Amino acid sequence: MSGNQWVLPVSALSLVLGFMVMTASITATTRSSRFSLLGAAQQGRVGIGPLDLEEQYVKMSEEVKALRGENDKLQTALGDRNSSTKVLNEGLEQAKAFAGLTDVQGPGLKVTLTDSTKSTIGQSETVQEYAIVHDMDILKVTNELLAAGAEAIDVNGHRIVATSSFRCVGPVIQVDGVPVASPVVIRAIGDPAAMEGGLNLPGGVLSLIRMFDPAMVRVEQVKEMRIAAYGGSTECHFAKPVESK
Amino acid sequence: MIYLLPFIALVIGALLAVLLRVGPQEGLTGQYMAVACIAGLDTICGGVRSGLEGKFTNEVFVTGFISNIVLAFFLAWLGDRIGIDLFLVVALVFGARILQNLSLIRRYLLTKWQDAKEKKRLQEIAAKAQAQSQMQADATS
Repeated sequence: MSGNQWVLPVSALSLVLGFMVMTASITATTRSSRFSLLGAAQQGRVGIGPLDLEEQYVKMSEEVKALRGENDKLQTALGDRNSSTKVLNEGLEQAKAFAGLTDVQGPGLKVTLTDSTKSTIGQSETVQEYAIVHDMDILKVTNELLAAGAEAIDVNGHRIVATSSFRCVGPVIQVDGVPVASPVVIRAIGDPAAMEGGLNLPGGVLSLIRMFDPAMVRVEQVKEMRIAAYGGSTECHFAKPVESK
Repeated sequence: MIYLLPFIALVIGALLAVLLRVGPQEGLTGQYMAVACIAGLDTICGGVRSGLEGKFTNEVFVTGFISNIVLAFFLAWLGDRIGIDLFLVVALVFGARILQNLSLIRRYLLTKWQDAKEKKRLQEIAAKAQAQSQMQADATS
């Protein structure tokens, strides 16, 4: 049919177009898959910066510890003088233990959260999110430990106190502003069995992580552990105590 | 069924890209390939339409295909240079034209099909009438 001579050129260019569409699709797919790989690489590069900060933090907290020890000594010396100051000093010690300003020891639980070693390359971003430890995971675990009667908690050596915060800054988790990285070790002094039971509740805080990769969570009971005092600032700039009459 | 040929060619082209293991395109080519695809699709639809209407010219079609793609490419690139999403303009205009072309193609094919049906019906009636008149002629003789 002479009226159909258009079909061949159109088909030829259709072939070219099909090729182009597939190429564009391949390019778009690889770009998005590369994005997550780039994120991981950046994570490494960004992680170098906070390391210096951590060193600084360790130095400063050692200084704080030394100064607090001196303060303690002075207070004990004062308390030895007479019985009324002794009672006062005992009260102070209790308050300090509660506030996390003294080293404490006792039985407890050690929870280790690790980034999954499962390969998630080519998976959706949601799945890739599951494979790493988040600030929310640490927050939920510490919250559950407290609910189960934990009396002192530290995260990678940072004592958790009333003003402690957990947050994500880019790819880095910060505990009280100090970067921590996987593996995240959360230690808590308290009734080990009760705390482990709380963490292992069905549908509890660890169940979602375990659903993705059981190897990301390790929970151990410890007979005796020592948790160091809080090393950060305890000054209150805004909150002033109310005088009771 | 010759009208299915462009469609089949499209699928074959896509398969070729997969089979030849085309890697991701770097730089400008990769960035604006999608926009160029819309322009190309519009030209193909336009070619089919003009072919069905009997107005197809080879030169117009081929130059249109190339210049549309280049134009779309250039507009998208320019938009990125001056900070306006001009690729949206390309997508909108060519998208609208694709829809228009497709609706015209559909209408044309529909009319053709209905015409063919009508013609067949009329032919059948004519054949029947002829057979009847033949029978009458046989009876009278």
